[in-house]
Amino acid sequence: MIANIIQTTGLTRSYGDICALKPLDVQVPEGEWLSVMGHSGSGKSTFMNLVGGLDRPSAGSLSVGGEDLLALTEDGLARFRREFIGIIFQQHHLVPYLTAVENVMMAQYFHSVPDEAEARSALERVGLGHRLKNRPGELSGGEQQRVCIARAIINSPKLLLGDEPTGNLDHKSTIMVMELLRELRSEERFTVIMVTHNQEVAAWGDRTIYLDDGVLVRDERANSR
Amino acid sequence: MIVIKLIPHAVSWAVIALFLVRGFHAGRLMVIISGSGGFALGALGALVLFRLLPPESAFGIIRGGLGVSLLLLWGVAVMAAYRPFWKRTTYFEGTGFTVMCACLAGCMAGAVSASRLSGSGTSLAPYLALILVGGALASYAGAVEKRIPEWFIVGGPSLAAVVVALLLYGSSLSLRLDLFAPLTMKVMKFAHDFVHQFMESMLIPDHVFIRSNLWKYIGVLFGKEIGFWGALVIWFTPLLLIVYAIQFEPLPSVAHIRQGAERRRLLAVFIHIRRYRLIPALLAVLVLTAAVYRSCVPSVEYWDPKPIVVTATPVGDIFIPRKGDIDLEDGKLHKYLFRQGGKEARFFIIMGPSGKLTVVLDACAICKPDGYGQAEGTVICYYCKTLIPLDTVGRSGGCNPVPLAFSEKDDGVHINAVTLMNEWDNTVQTTTKVKGAGK
Repeated sequence: MIANIIQTTGLTRSYGDICALKPLDVQVPEGEWLSVMGHSGSGKSTFMNLVGGLDRPSAGSLSVGGEDLLALTEDGLARFRREFIGIIFQQHHLVPYLTAVENVMMAQYFHSVPDEAEARSALERVGLGHRLKNRPGELSGGEQQRVCIARAIINSPKLLLGDEPTGNLDHKSTIMVMELLRELRSEERFTVIMVTHNQEVAAWGDRTIYLDDGVLVRDERANSR
Repeated sequence: MIVIKLIPHAVSWAVIALFLVRGFHAGRLMVIISGSGGFALGALGALVLFRLLPPESAFGIIRGGLGVSLLLLWGVAVMAAYRPFWKRTTYFEGTGFTVMCACLAGCMAGAVSASRLSGSGTSLAPYLALILVGGALASYAGAVEKRIPEWFIVGGPSLAAVVVALLLYGSSLSLRLDLFAPLTMKVMKFAHDFVHQFMESMLIPDHVFIRSNLWKYIGVLFGKEIGFWGALVIWFTPLLLIVYAIQFEPLPSVAHIRQGAERRRLLAVFIHIRRYRLIPALLAVLVLTAAVYRSCVPSVEYWDPKPIVVTATPVGDIFIPRKGDIDLEDGKLHKYLFRQGGKEARFFIIMGPSGKLTVVLDACAICKPDGYGQAEGTVICYYCKTLIPLDTVGRSGGCNPVPLAFSEKDDGVHINAVTLMNEWDNTVQTTTKVKGAGK
């Protein structure tokens, strides 16, 4: 039996009077690719931020990889994010004055110690062996996103979070990035949670949940679609 | 007053005990018992020394013990820097070694603390109180140690560094136990003797024409600074060796770990542990720096009165009454200044422990004439920081103030002005001219 890497019970997040996420019960088995869909303001990013330890819930329980995130201190959360989570953002958030390899090494630095050979190897895995010394401004959107993927997986996370990772990419680049993620996932066996608007991108997952106004309205497996 | 004097020693001992408990894994209770036992032994040993021996000999023995501890630290530091030896040896492990180290550290801490009681008579009570406090502090340190985070690791060389640094700090609080000032003097003397012997052995001509030029450069080696900087090197080198040994200790191999992130994570853990292990060694550097500061700027204020100008009668007699504005019998040092023919000479009069007045120059035959101050049953040479016990003031030799012939009659002290000026010229001014910067 596959253990659940994420388990939430009555997970709630409120900002003042606004309830961004209403009591939510979700279980994600280890190794699953979960797509999270919903329109703007439906609570997708709130859910992802809670699961990634970037935000704290207002109520409920949240266990990720056996860690009760509510019980963790700020330092504990930082360690959890450092060792357990990899994140790919829509806006890349690469450091503009560092080269591709240095951007990846920076993630190593905050995790443990930098290792240039390993960073180069990670960029080669995502097909950027020829772009190691280029700065983000010298890379295309797809290439920048692949640097983000290399940066996200360099510390061997158990859970990879993607917040609209293909939102800024054209169709060809989107397919390239999704294929790369699928390939890496089969090699590294990490769990993926992908927040997206795009039905086509969501279809790459094993399962899709739909949020509407902070409420889970649908939970579909790929074979049932 | 004595209680206030003992506070820094008590704190030092508590910190030593804390580090001993953290540094040795053989057992908290065993370290506390052996450390407290050693402390009691040291305090009682000091009492016996002060009862049986003259104060200078008793202080000398305790100071000798501190010197040995500095030498031991040197040994540990060299072994730590020479890594293969430290890694191979198993001498520094086991219960026996732990008990011995805790006992020795306690013994020295007890002796240094008890030496502050030397002025309070030979009664057993204050010593017993000190022993009780020492035991209580060691127990408290053991309890506090449980609350210190696990990452605060104290390795063997760091432990030695902290313990010796705290002992030396404790000793720097007492003029008669201070090790740094005598060390500067020894270095200064060594430099002087070495240069002298070297010059003689190399038969460098002491020619009248090159002499002054040569001395400009050689004079640097005779300065006070050479002693200070040389002593600093001896003082801090073991700690720097220990810091070097920890900082550059090779990390364990992680090549067998396949996953890069895990490999790096382990490396980071090792690097962090190595960094934490530096903390005690760096703390020891700070404590030793405080000891140097305390030695150079002692908290004891010297009795150093402004010299009173005196004149001589037409027949060259300088008369200073026993009683008057100044009471020569008050046990304090009284300084005087005599001027004649554009020259001046300083001298002081003091009543020694035997009850006899002594008249001496305010200078010795070997140092720059910086003069003397008085504190804690001694006079101190300001130039080389040598402590001269009051009962030896009036004897010639070494750094003792040069004795001056005088007579006591008409209820006062008579000094011959010509004798005074001649003595001053012969010793101080001649010495200064020839030896340039000092010794």
